Amino acid sequence: MSLGTYFDQLEHDVLAAMRKPSKLYWAALAVSAAAFALGLGCWGWQIYEGLGMAGIRSPVGWGVYITDFVFWVGIAHSGTLISAVLFLFRAKFRCSFNRSAEAMTVIAVMTAGLFPLIHLGRCWFFYWLMPYPNQRHLWVNFRSPLIWDVFAVSTYFTISAVFFFVGLIPDLAIARRRFTGWRHWVFRILSLGWQGTAEQWKHYAWLYMFLAAFATPLVISVHSVVSWDFAMSVIPGWHTTIFAPYFVAGAIFSGTAMVITLVVPMRRILGLDTYITVDHFEAIAKILLFTSLIVSYSYIVEFVLAWYSGNPFEIAHFSFRAVGDYRYLYWLMLFCNGLLPLTLFVKRLRRNLKYLFVLSLFVNVGMWLERFVIIVTSLARDFDPYNWGNYAPRFGEIGITIGSFGMFFMLFLIFTKMLPVLAIAEVKEHSS
Amino acid sequence: MERRDFLKVLGIATGGVAASWSSGFGQDKLVSRVLPPPEGHIPGEPIHVHSVCTECPAGCGLTVTVRDGLPVKLEGNPHHAVGGGALCVRGQASLVRVYHPERVRRPLYREPGGELKPIGWDEAMARVRTELAAAAGAGRTNAFWGGRSTASLHRLIGETCATLGLERLPEFEIFHHGALRGAYGRLFGRRTVPAYRIDRADALLTVGADIVDTFLSPVEFARQIAPKLEAGWPWFHAEPALSLTGARAARRLAVAPGSERFLLAWLLRTVPARQPLPAGVTAAMPSVTREEAARQTGVPAADLDALARALADARQPLVVAGGVSVAHADGHAVALLAGLLQWSLGAIPALVDFSADHTFDAVGTLADARQVAERLKAKRIGVLVMSRLHGLEFLDGAVEALPEAAFSVGLTDFLSPAFAGCRLILPVSHALESWGDAEPQRGRLGLIRPVFRPLHGTRSEGDILLQLAGKTTSFKDYLFAAWRPYPAAWWKQGYVERPVRAEAVKLADGAAGALAALGQAPELAAPALVVAPSLRTFDGRSRVIPLLHEIPDPLSTVTYGPWVNVPPGLARSMGLADGDELRLGGAARPVRVLPGLPEGVLLAAVDAAAGLGLKADPATGELLACRGGISAVKTGRRTPLPFLSGGMDATHRGILPGDEGPHHHHEKHSLYEPYEYVDYRWAMAVDLDRCVGCSACVAACYMENNIPVAGPEEHLRGREMSWLRVQPYVRGGEAPVFIPVMCQHCDAAPCETVCPVYATYHNEEGLNVQVYNRCVGTRYCNNNCPFKARRFNWFEYDAPAPLDRLKNPDVSVRPKGVMEKCTFCIQRITHAKDKAKDDGRRKVRDGEIVPACAQTCPAGAITFGNILDEKSRVYQLAHSGRAYRLLEMLGTEPAVYYLSKKVK
Amino acid sequence: MIREYKFDDKAAFLHQLEELVRSGVHPRRLTVTTPFHVHEVEHILHLRPSWLKLFTLIGAAAGLTAGFAFTVGTALDWPLRTGGKPIVALPTYIIVAFELTILFGGVISFLGFLFLSRFPDIPAIVSGTECGPEFIIREDTGEAV
Repeated sequence: MSLGTYFDQLEHDVLAAMRKPSKLYWAALAVSAAAFALGLGCWGWQIYEGLGMAGIRSPVGWGVYITDFVFWVGIAHSGTLISAVLFLFRAKFRCSFNRSAEAMTVIAVMTAGLFPLIHLGRCWFFYWLMPYPNQRHLWVNFRSPLIWDVFAVSTYFTISAVFFFVGLIPDLAIARRRFTGWRHWVFRILSLGWQGTAEQWKHYAWLYMFLAAFATPLVISVHSVVSWDFAMSVIPGWHTTIFAPYFVAGAIFSGTAMVITLVVPMRRILGLDTYITVDHFEAIAKILLFTSLIVSYSYIVEFVLAWYSGNPFEIAHFSFRAVGDYRYLYWLMLFCNGLLPLTLFVKRLRRNLKYLFVLSLFVNVGMWLERFVIIVTSLARDFDPYNWGNYAPRFGEIGITIGSFGMFFMLFLIFTKMLPVLAIAEVKEHSS
Repeated sequence: MERRDFLKVLGIATGGVAASWSSGFGQDKLVSRVLPPPEGHIPGEPIHVHSVCTECPAGCGLTVTVRDGLPVKLEGNPHHAVGGGALCVRGQASLVRVYHPERVRRPLYREPGGELKPIGWDEAMARVRTELAAAAGAGRTNAFWGGRSTASLHRLIGETCATLGLERLPEFEIFHHGALRGAYGRLFGRRTVPAYRIDRADALLTVGADIVDTFLSPVEFARQIAPKLEAGWPWFHAEPALSLTGARAARRLAVAPGSERFLLAWLLRTVPARQPLPAGVTAAMPSVTREEAARQTGVPAADLDALARALADARQPLVVAGGVSVAHADGHAVALLAGLLQWSLGAIPALVDFSADHTFDAVGTLADARQVAERLKAKRIGVLVMSRLHGLEFLDGAVEALPEAAFSVGLTDFLSPAFAGCRLILPVSHALESWGDAEPQRGRLGLIRPVFRPLHGTRSEGDILLQLAGKTTSFKDYLFAAWRPYPAAWWKQGYVERPVRAEAVKLADGAAGALAALGQAPELAAPALVVAPSLRTFDGRSRVIPLLHEIPDPLSTVTYGPWVNVPPGLARSMGLADGDELRLGGAARPVRVLPGLPEGVLLAAVDAAAGLGLKADPATGELLACRGGISAVKTGRRTPLPFLSGGMDATHRGILPGDEGPHHHHEKHSLYEPYEYVDYRWAMAVDLDRCVGCSACVAACYMENNIPVAGPEEHLRGREMSWLRVQPYVRGGEAPVFIPVMCQHCDAAPCETVCPVYATYHNEEGLNVQVYNRCVGTRYCNNNCPFKARRFNWFEYDAPAPLDRLKNPDVSVRPKGVMEKCTFCIQRITHAKDKAKDDGRRKVRDGEIVPACAQTCPAGAITFGNILDEKSRVYQLAHSGRAYRLLEMLGTEPAVYYLSKKVK
Repeated sequence: MIREYKFDDKAAFLHQLEELVRSGVHPRRLTVTTPFHVHEVEHILHLRPSWLKLFTLIGAAAGLTAGFAFTVGTALDWPLRTGGKPIVALPTYIIVAFELTILFGGVISFLGFLFLSRFPDIPAIVSGTECGPEFIIREDTGEAV
């Protein structure tokens, strides 16, 4: 097949995905939207009643909402890894995933960014977390990890969105050429009049590289900052220096799993088998395995150092994690995150897409549980036994969590129909 | 006093009282704010009115803080000998009663159909008179049955009964000390409860008498023993179960239920007598050897020896028996032997003072109550006028007999079980709305004065009685006539001591005979059930106050009951966890496993006793609160039981005194420069040797700072709002230690660093301040607090009207979504600094600022002050050898120092 | 007159481009459109290096400065003591400055890109010019049509 025909076929196949949606699509969209509506309803009820309708209490002041926050930010990181970090490493296989991954990043950060608002006692004053000039000299406390979060997540969202958009420009030009009607006009405007001239590509290439270069340390810093929400406290189980690399690795781990979860069915449904191959998935699976090993290492380090330290608070706390009231969640987490991914050492399993899909679901569950276990067990058993207390989520919190998944999938489904799910220009570049 | 002076004083008294110009909730009207108030009172400035607390029989003095015509806070009256400026948990919470939404507001008449219909006072009075005549005509006896009354009300009741031809039935109190009174009657011919001068004793044995929980005058006793506790003195407490008194005593002796007579009999034979005992008495005294005493009571012989030695070595030893140790089948023997021991040790009359006795003159025993019930059932009672019958519902079969009266008239503030079935309810004003007086101990007379006009259409009991009798004087005039002879101090300080006749006390001739008639000690088989007076509701009368359920029972930390405490061994063998139900005779109760409770003993507060079949001893009429051979059967059901403690074992965590926890081998140096405080650095010292765990400080904090009551569902979710908690810890088999914990105002506070919006920061005086209107509610501060001292407003809490009006105007009410915590009563600090500025002083003097918790503590365990001032008491305490800080190894630099002799 | 050369194949396209330049056609008269970035084109046409780097540098420097200036400035504006930490807590400000470096760097780079490439290209949007998947060289011969 000549290059021209190949390009033509490529464009056609990818943009075919954006044609009229099937019944399955509408059903999926409806379910997601319903879940999202449930989440919004629960949030509205929470604003009206007060945070008391959740299950949080003293000592466990953070529960499912912060778990969701860290979970979604973690999901987002993998997208940036695939787009930016793999770009800097010149990994060719990335271009079959990177558009979806970037979309996933942007949507996940949007979802994550709602949770700091949701968990606020007075969320209508959320803007006080941002340092805006005012007459009363009220500024924010930059020593607080939560403010670092504000800056980190805002920066991450902005840069991810910019990076996403920049990557889209050439593809929007392609879509502009192939669509008619209102979509053609939308693409015409959004593509900014891109022509693909040498001058444009020259600047574009530098911009893309700089954005990738910025995004790489950003990925590391953002999840480090999120982990410092916990590590900067005094609580045993939280106050440990391993958190930054532990969380970054965990984020990439969970995000990669989510990429697999999204792309395996997407590839099948949209018929993109030729462009997203099993080889590509095997490469992603290797990343999953590698990050799983780092996460397992972190689990071991945490546990062993707690025991080795001789600090009774640390020892008591980790004993609680292993044999206390939340032990089932802890062991399930270890199984999903540490044990199950080890099967990826087997090449046959690495190349089996069904297996990868199921495994990725387990990893998603395991990584959600990891955040829950870290947050809740550490708060439930700290220094003074009088204050110990357990936490169980209630309906509103579960509703909002479901709502966040609903929002994520709803927006991702909309993305698949509105924008090219593959980076066409990049695929062209790497196929020649 | 000269008539002119009297009138002048009268003028000050009535004019200076807010009642003359305030109209309760009429303060909404603008006019009252615009018109100049009398006596130079400035609106917005508090005025203080002395009165007497009526929440329990102890009758502690009260100072009411009145703001703009409404009482907002209660404190003790330093001029009043009972209480001496302190107030217990019930006293602090009693202010809620005035504003309670369920108070009866107007007279209610029960229609033949059973419905209660509001009627007017005149109609109510007329009805009573009609019924009185009708009942007399039908040959029934009309009677008055009330709770314990003293001083003028006591006299008025007598006069009213005479006027109306009512039989004055023996007064009813469920804790009437019948066994003690009976014993003193047989031994000394004085059927009363003497005053126990514990402050004079240098060695003390209390047998069951819970002197810092509820016995007689707990606030006074706590005040008296506190300095002795700090210094260390031999105080032994023998009890069958577990109480705060037992936890606080220097040595607690767990005795087998019902076996106290062996302990006392052995002491009588062992400790040398200082007062000669007649030969007949010595002969009739039971003979008990050391081994038998040890065997019967279960107390190790070494402890018995130590006890005997302590009593023998002391110059002024004292033995006090009471409470649950005299409230069982052998209680009369215990009371008799204790009385004899008091005589033998020479405690009478110096330490056991019959002339200043507790006024139980007209209080009958439960045998008298049973007789009334019998007469009611025999339909011999016509009109029954009832008042203050607290705890009647716990006595088997008593409340059920009440409807048999031809016409029952209830003088009450709430429709409690005894009054719920009355034909006519006459609502009684609260003491804060009435004139009155109280003489809980002979010679100690306190003045009760109103701080505002009644909130609702209620009248004081005295006024009701006078009106029933058809008199036109008011109770106020009646009182003023009686108070004529009192000096000006009476009005100013609200208290006066009247001289009492001191009569010589000697052993009665029948003493030997009484001893001989003691007979065999009945056995109380395990498991025994001990029903003790409740620290939080006394005999159940304070149950209506929600705050007293919100504040936990200090030993078990259970809040909303009822429940029964079980010992750990029994729980293990029966497979009982907290909340599992146990059927004890006629009723089932959820259990709480209580470490420290002796095996074989179940402990319940009296308000868990309904349906458990409490009876009276036929011989003494005393309550049989301690019964053996209880059938305890697991029902298999579980009732979620709200309790606040997540664990009582805090060994090696740097929390308990003398237990530093993980220590570092080198001094940890801070990376940062220490802050240079300039004028003040506020700090607090909490003396764990003095603290008895009574939780008065907790109630005071709630009242001072407008802390909301969260309720039982929230408690089950692990949420409540207390800024100060009394945290019990149990180490091994020892008695519990109570540590009051509030925000520690750390110099290196972990909470301050993590607040994103500067809603909490460290001010220049060392306080960790919380800015409510800046808080967005991320809750990171409480997550990071190692003491978990902070509380979050999960909802917009408020009480139903008119209880929502009970607010201290100096303290903001927090909206939902905002964090709050102890502020070291910053409003009081600010007030003192303003006053210092007004007075032209630059600095506040030591002792001028007293936070609410410190102010009310009966034991004086809490000290507050400026630690920069080396002459201040808090500085000295913090630098005494007894000081330590909680979780010191974390390096948060708390400003609260805890004191204990156990500190190394 | 505009002479157009269309190619499906990158190698052929590059060959032609080299030919044209070697044959003396001034790069200024050549407009090249590619479906993806072909960096050889820049060598062949002797294109000046992109000024984008400058925007990135300025953006990053501005972010770094702003990060520290803002944090330090606001801390000194109302000095509130939290947790015994110093008022100017530089270690914590480093994080904020780092984020702002990246934020400003990225955003200003993007704005620089828009500026340098003259985006949005309103005439192109309005006229609806398309760019296809082929490699196109347009030579402006300068001759009249």
